[in-house]
Amino acid sequence: MALDYRGSQGGKTAAVPGHRTLRDSVEERDRTTAATGHYYGVTELTLRDSDPIKYERFYARLHSAVLAARESARFVAASPGSREMGECLWGLTTPEGDTLAVSLGFLSHTAIFPVSVRYMASKDYDVNDGIDDGDVFAVSDGLTGGVPHPGDFYTFVPIVVDEEVVGWSVGINHLMENGAPVAGSWATFSVDTFMDGFVCPPMKTGTKLRQSQWWKALWERRTRAATMNILDDKMRLAGCAMIHEATHRLIDEFGIDYYKRAIREVIEESRRMIVDNIKQTTVPGTYTGCAFRLVKYKGLQNIWSHADKNTLIHVRGSVEPGQEGLSLDTEGSSKWGYHSYNATPGGTDCAVFLGMINSFGHNTKVTAGIDLAIERNYPSGSIYNPDNEYTSNANLWAQTIAINSVGFNAVNRAMFSRGYLEEVFSVDGNWGAFQGAGTTEDGTSYGFTNFEWLGGTGRGAYCYKDGEPLIWAAWSQIATIGDAEEFESTVPPLFYLGRKLLKGYCGHGKYRGGVGNSAVHWIVQPGKHVALTRPNGGLSCTTAVGVGMSGGYPAPSSFMISARGTNMSEIIAEGGETPRDARELLEMVDDGRLKVENLEIWKTDCPELAFDENDLFVDAAGASGGWGDPLEREPSAVIEDLNEGWVTSYDFVKNLHGVVATQNKEGEWQLDESSTVALREEMRNKRRQESVSVFDWWSNEREKVLKKDFVPEVNQMYAESLSFDKFDREFRDFWQVPEDLVFENEEE
Amino acid sequence: MAESQVDKDLIRQLVEGDISEDNVTRLQKMSRKDKDRFFQYVEVLQEKVPWDEKILLRISDKLYVVATQEGDRIVKCECGHEFGDYRENWKLQCRIRVRKTLEEFKEVYDPEPACPEPGWQEIREYFCPGEHAAQLAVEVVSPGYPIVFEMLPDLDVFYRDYLGRPLSDESSQWYKDQTTNVTQSWRSRREAH
Repeated sequence: MALDYRGSQGGKTAAVPGHRTLRDSVEERDRTTAATGHYYGVTELTLRDSDPIKYERFYARLHSAVLAARESARFVAASPGSREMGECLWGLTTPEGDTLAVSLGFLSHTAIFPVSVRYMASKDYDVNDGIDDGDVFAVSDGLTGGVPHPGDFYTFVPIVVDEEVVGWSVGINHLMENGAPVAGSWATFSVDTFMDGFVCPPMKTGTKLRQSQWWKALWERRTRAATMNILDDKMRLAGCAMIHEATHRLIDEFGIDYYKRAIREVIEESRRMIVDNIKQTTVPGTYTGCAFRLVKYKGLQNIWSHADKNTLIHVRGSVEPGQEGLSLDTEGSSKWGYHSYNATPGGTDCAVFLGMINSFGHNTKVTAGIDLAIERNYPSGSIYNPDNEYTSNANLWAQTIAINSVGFNAVNRAMFSRGYLEEVFSVDGNWGAFQGAGTTEDGTSYGFTNFEWLGGTGRGAYCYKDGEPLIWAAWSQIATIGDAEEFESTVPPLFYLGRKLLKGYCGHGKYRGGVGNSAVHWIVQPGKHVALTRPNGGLSCTTAVGVGMSGGYPAPSSFMISARGTNMSEIIAEGGETPRDARELLEMVDDGRLKVENLEIWKTDCPELAFDENDLFVDAAGASGGWGDPLEREPSAVIEDLNEGWVTSYDFVKNLHGVVATQNKEGEWQLDESSTVALREEMRNKRRQESVSVFDWWSNEREKVLKKDFVPEVNQMYAESLSFDKFDREFRDFWQVPEDLVFENEEE
Repeated sequence: MAESQVDKDLIRQLVEGDISEDNVTRLQKMSRKDKDRFFQYVEVLQEKVPWDEKILLRISDKLYVVATQEGDRIVKCECGHEFGDYRENWKLQCRIRVRKTLEEFKEVYDPEPACPEPGWQEIREYFCPGEHAAQLAVEVVSPGYPIVFEMLPDLDVFYRDYLGRPLSDESSQWYKDQTTNVTQSWRSRREAH
């Protein structure tokens, strides 16, 4: 396919004095939108209403261009993450970066497009340097580009007509490695942005739809997976070139005046639809949720002493559906810190929009309409809007997914009240991955990321049925964990011994969540060196979200196990059984079949783990939450869980669900109905006996609050969150504690 | 499936959890949701509960905001237990059981490495004080964390602007979190003792 480069027709923006600049466009967009409450002041959809067929044909052409870009470009050149798992997206935006159309894939990344373009506008890229049709820009910085984490890399290509930028084609994907001190694509343990790896504020890296040669040198010298990354770079640009070409043809056919008007109408139309969907499917009010995440750096950051501390991150969100959309307030969430979990407003949007687009954008054009319909408050100084320009946001996604879950669950609660139960389920957003670097025996160095447990997770319980394993991912419409063989080929010494659903690993309730997943990786011929770390959306020392749904338990989070110094060679030589998931590994260690010199269970981030021959690395992730009172689970469903192997222990489900069963000679579980009725009544009595009134509990707990009788990390968390007025007021009102009760902030 | 054509019995099946996968898919694939769903839903619920107060809103599996004959809006459990003014977090009128140790966590999370970390987190289970002692909510939060008020609906705006059928007792006072009234009274009660 020949790409039709149009630079000579477009002209360079800076060439004409007095031309309309990007800054002019952004200013007009903001002024007219604020003044009218309608995008770009478009109060009437004149093009749509006067000739709807032409208007929809116009949009279909835009949409097909971005869809085609994805379905072609990732098969031109790409890493397994993009080709196999679709960890990518293409889009087309207005001159101001507002999304017009996106492909399948990471659709919430539309949030970052305007951040990057507005940065370029504010810095006069088009005036000082000039922007030419078909220029190529690279972006991976959180602050200036809005990027959710530097592992996500963006290519922007401007579409210029008559010396004016009229749009941008954009491609993104998640890199396999991005050159940070911690190898992989989420630099866990980063202390500030200078440890985040290969981070680019918006920068011109090519012209005429071609990258410069020096750009390739950067991939080769500043990342550990240059081949993969260069393939991905070509992929992003190939898709952008297709969209660039298609948009020029579209403008030729429809005319620039039609194009300029239509792109505003498209966004205003979808804004209206989203606002209408919010009013149609929710109940106004205030919905509050929270989540926690532990950052265990103490003892691991000896070089950077200011970061050598543990942090309990508090995620707090309240959602209010209203008259013109919906608002999200994150006040009360923790302050930013010297760790890798800080967000930026753009990156937070990228997470928050996941649930919002899924809930309200399903029947309209996916555009910047979502940005206009969802009002966000990220207080300055908070983890979502640091008042320090050098914070790390290397592992932003591991934390912001929780604020998305808080918002998504708020929407689900609202839809439940409204009666649209078919849409309502428990959201957790657990994900896992592993990453690292190695050197083969012949001295070849490589870096890698295994995305599998990011590709597919369990879906939480619906309010009327159990959730399902693996089939859901909050960040993508096409959940897939990819082929094991693809990942084995990118990490030479790691072989899968097992890749399974992990029995019983879910939040329970009347309906249980889809169970999570677990894999066992066996290290064979590690070469000179292989080591890995693991970023995770949720770590099991806290649950993924803090508030369960209707009496169900929220999902447990991720964990991992390193087993170093094993007798695997003897087991294999004897043809013995090898572990296939985390539970089997622990059982085999317990009963002595698997001997391990150094067994470590990681419920927090693991530091870099180096592995030798026959070591094992085991992970578990992707569990989802339950719904409803576990004592109300249909007894037959419990029996089914036992017989089909969804749970492992009869005692566990008996004590959780109050179901009595017996096993017949064939080992099949059968319900004992009368004993079940009796046990459930007994358990209700137990609830009464083991519980106290909330007043009594409050009275006792209040004493602990007054004494600040908590572990240091909890006290520190309150010190940070109480520095924001709204949470401070709520905390003091709830506990009825005086103003002079102060939780000390270690840093001050 | 065209708008406003969802059979009431289908909604009953959704509520009871015995709806077929095919019908769930049909409902999920509606481009625009049926506008009269809420009122059909409330009809189904009203027929299901063993009491007569008018349901204004269902806020969780078993809890409803209802209008009383005295003109109050209260939270009421399916079992009949009343929690009081809906503007006060109903959890404060529950029984509570708190799990604090790993052994207690292991009774609800499995396998063991999946359990939250004691000291950093505790598991709070909120039970209805009524005859069924239903588990109405679960929180997994840090010790000392204020009880979360999951949802305070703005009923007047909902009925007037979202549904187009205003409630007869509209007032600007209905959409105000009054939970602090409870904790203030608790403090007074303690100080009196």
